[in-house]
Amino acid sequence: MRRRRGGAVLRQVLLTLAALVFAFPFYFMVVGAFQESPTNTPDRLVPTSGWTTQNFAQIDARIDLAGSLVNSLVFTAGVLLGTIVLGTLAGYAVARLRYPGRRLTWVLMLLVQMVPFQLLMIPLYVQITRGYGLGDTYLGMILPFAINTTAVFIFAQFFGALPREMFEAARIDGAGELRILRSIALPLVRPALATVVLVTFIGPWNEFLWPFLITKDASLQPLAVSLANYISNVSQTAANPNGAILAGACALAFPVVVLFCVFQRYFRTTDLGSAVKG
Amino acid sequence: MSTVTAGAGAAPGAGPGAGSGRAPAPAPLGPGRRRWWGGQPLGTLFAAPYLVFVLVVFAYPLGFSAYMAFHDYFFTAPGVEVPKPFVGFDNFATVLTDPQVLASFRNTAVFLVINVPLTVGLALVLASALNAGVRWAAAYRVAYYVPYLTASVSLVGVWMLLFSSNGLVNSVLGPLAPDPSWLANKALAMPTIALYVTWKQLGFYVLLYLAALQNVPRELYESAETDGAGGFQRFLNVTVPGVRAATTLVLVLAIITGTNLFTEPYLLTGGGGPDGASVTPVLLIYQRGIQQQNPDVAAAIGMVLVVVVGLLSLAAQRLNRER
Amino acid sequence: MRYIRTAALLGAVALTITACSGSDGGSGGGSGEATGATGPITIWLSNNEQEVVWGQDVVDAWNADHPDEQVTAQEIPAGSSSEEAITAAITAGTAPCLVYNISSAAVPGWVRQGGLVDLTTFDGGADYLTERGGDGVSVYETDGGYYQLPWKSNPVMVMYNKALFAQAGLDPENPGMATFDEFLAGAQQIVDSGAAPSAIWPSPTNDFFQPWFDFYPVYLAETGGTALVEDGKATFDDEAGTAVADFWASIYADGLAPQEEATDDAMVSGQTAMQMAGPWAIASYKDSVDVGFMPVPTSDGREDVTTFADSKNVSMFTSCENQGTAWEFLKYSTSEESDGALLEATGQMPLRQDLAATYPDYFAAHPEYEVFADQAARTGDVPSIPNSIEVWQAFREAYTSAVIFQSTSVDDFLSTAASKIDDLVQG
Repeated sequence: MRRRRGGAVLRQVLLTLAALVFAFPFYFMVVGAFQESPTNTPDRLVPTSGWTTQNFAQIDARIDLAGSLVNSLVFTAGVLLGTIVLGTLAGYAVARLRYPGRRLTWVLMLLVQMVPFQLLMIPLYVQITRGYGLGDTYLGMILPFAINTTAVFIFAQFFGALPREMFEAARIDGAGELRILRSIALPLVRPALATVVLVTFIGPWNEFLWPFLITKDASLQPLAVSLANYISNVSQTAANPNGAILAGACALAFPVVVLFCVFQRYFRTTDLGSAVKG
Repeated sequence: MSTVTAGAGAAPGAGPGAGSGRAPAPAPLGPGRRRWWGGQPLGTLFAAPYLVFVLVVFAYPLGFSAYMAFHDYFFTAPGVEVPKPFVGFDNFATVLTDPQVLASFRNTAVFLVINVPLTVGLALVLASALNAGVRWAAAYRVAYYVPYLTASVSLVGVWMLLFSSNGLVNSVLGPLAPDPSWLANKALAMPTIALYVTWKQLGFYVLLYLAALQNVPRELYESAETDGAGGFQRFLNVTVPGVRAATTLVLVLAIITGTNLFTEPYLLTGGGGPDGASVTPVLLIYQRGIQQQNPDVAAAIGMVLVVVVGLLSLAAQRLNRER
Repeated sequence: MRYIRTAALLGAVALTITACSGSDGGSGGGSGEATGATGPITIWLSNNEQEVVWGQDVVDAWNADHPDEQVTAQEIPAGSSSEEAITAAITAGTAPCLVYNISSAAVPGWVRQGGLVDLTTFDGGADYLTERGGDGVSVYETDGGYYQLPWKSNPVMVMYNKALFAQAGLDPENPGMATFDEFLAGAQQIVDSGAAPSAIWPSPTNDFFQPWFDFYPVYLAETGGTALVEDGKATFDDEAGTAVADFWASIYADGLAPQEEATDDAMVSGQTAMQMAGPWAIASYKDSVDVGFMPVPTSDGREDVTTFADSKNVSMFTSCENQGTAWEFLKYSTSEESDGALLEATGQMPLRQDLAATYPDYFAAHPEYEVFADQAARTGDVPSIPNSIEVWQAFREAYTSAVIFQSTSVDDFLSTAASKIDDLVQG
């Protein structure tokens, strides 16, 4: 009995320590973003003075924070829309329908997971900008991410787990496939949506390389790209570049963290089982 | 919120995991409504957008990449034609004798050797601790998962400050601080990146393991305890084998992440520095392809990388299954 | 396992199919019909804060008079260098009409890409170039054409923090660091006295353009203006090259310069006492640091040293639809008046004839720029050679490991880099 309690205490200590390690850089980021000069020494980690919002103003003066945020939102919303609408259909088809090419769909889904996106980046860039003329457009930014394969897996997993009897009953009643999808499968999909949204959202929101390549028009660049440009070029000439970098980092991180905290109770680890790539 | 348990039967890894090599979940047949082709041809319609998507943004670029790798390819402005002769394996010869390319694969190996065991070990330990039932479990989950959710671009800025030579980490370490500092030190740059990526990705793997642990039958733990097994022994004899499928998945994913490093060396160590000690294959693809206008060489690096990733993933699956 | 094999097979099939059809699909249309066209255009400016202000002023003035030919300006969407952004934009056909930050090093590659417009194809183009820039513009010729307008230069000198020099016991008005030995001794004094943790802080990264701000200015000074490559051969594998490389190697070996990249502006934060910089720095630092300038050092401390011009030029891109407007705006933005405004706003030296005589009032009012006006008369630039960026990249990588990190010897670095560069230049 004693051993078990000892184990529980040990577990709690271990988990707390780990949580501190995970959370500390975020604490540092938030505090530094509102400081005149981010600290480099441990004794000033809990600052009592030197608060300022100047850092946000400074970064906003060089990159359009609000505009970049809107671009990030458009990019992300486009990907979410494509994934939810088309991904649901594909997931449903692959899980519940028997059609020619079902096997092919599965094989492609596996293959897509195995070949890293970055390898395709250069040919894709030429293809999308030259072949389709989509350089400097939202569509060009969205296209390579338009249907998140992980999300298709999650949907397939979800539809596959629905009780077969439901579908059989509907078919016996003479319902067509479209009708079954509309009135039986789709109304039930909500629980999977939270997981899909979370898994899909972070991809485009955090993506740097692709939008960086595809957008040369600064007014179209999402926040991750403008911020990276700021870090690597402009920051060196700013008065408090470190504070400004941390402020930009906060602006980029904040929406995702809020989204997760709000949705985390709908976000079930079991759904993640099929979320292989995230 | 719902009465249907989503993905209830989906043990992680047992699902259609990344190349886990298992057959897909069986698509239940409609009860005898077979038509002249297939059964539910509507499925083709539903899956068509996805199939087209994969062909357009996946298969075609992959083919194009292969085409570039075998030609003397050069980017031109639209409307400008220059000869792009077939050159056989020339680009591959260039790539495989380029010391920088070899160094980038060595750097990746350093990364994997540090990152993969650390990821698997820490994620499993933290997940089992969480699974044993503790207070504030939800808060811990959020804390672990938040770095994974946050853009590398944001976090890189924070780590750069923390690990710079007069940054917080060094001022805490005092005389123990490495010289030259972490990111400027040839021996420490790649390990620092490996630590960073472990930290950033760990939350995702903890959740994967948590999901897997819920499928390990309680009875196994109970019978192990009756046999007098201690906590550590139970971990070794029940938990570890119980989540083997998930471990395969974690291994494969960690390998894919590790072989695809770009943002970290691009921003954290200023383009693969110091002295090329953190150059990675994907960074080279970018530098050769875009900066130095040699897309053919870049494509050849990419092809080599695909093969390496494939082999490593297969090896990880084999290894984990046979033991 | 079965699926992986099927997947692999499928991938192979896809490869073969697309490999046969993989081609550009670019549409035709040279620049021919575009040269006269007028209409709205886009231009890119560098990330320099003062330059952006200047550019916006010029654009606003132009737009007020040209309602049908509006100009839109933005900063170059650069990654780690503006060149990579421009190369990608040329390929995509999304380059703007004009870019006001072209380094000569990148021009040959872009000409090969078919991305740049030969400015002499415009009526009076050649005359405008020589009229503005004098005979010196001929070094900016590529393949018999002028694909860039020589715009402005930032002759590189050694900038130093006067307060830190005084603190270290060096004379801030006349530091006496003209020779390599004096420079090293002075640098040592700065670090030993504790005035600053490092004496000078060149960026230690592997970007191809970094040599322009450490090795190359000193090499041009030491050789009196020999370019990195002349007559298709690398020049630096000799006594002068060795002396310069040894000089920088001593700086790193003695711990006078950090091997890591600065996270902020090291001059402003007092982390270092010197930087290699051009006249742009005067405007950039006027509110933060009291800076002085001295010529780059040489082995013998000679008078009238040559240095790197760090010229930035203007190019027009073939993807520009309204090249008529672009050409008119180019002339407008490089007129005597606009050049004067550039000088006033940024302190950078327009590449035009008789600079000091054209703007006497300016130099009378700003004596601190006189040293640069004087230095601007003795500069060398990057050679116009094939595979230029690869050449600089090869040089930089070898330099980094031998000089900055001392993992190879300086002699090895010079000879292997020279032979590699010879191969690259000869294609």
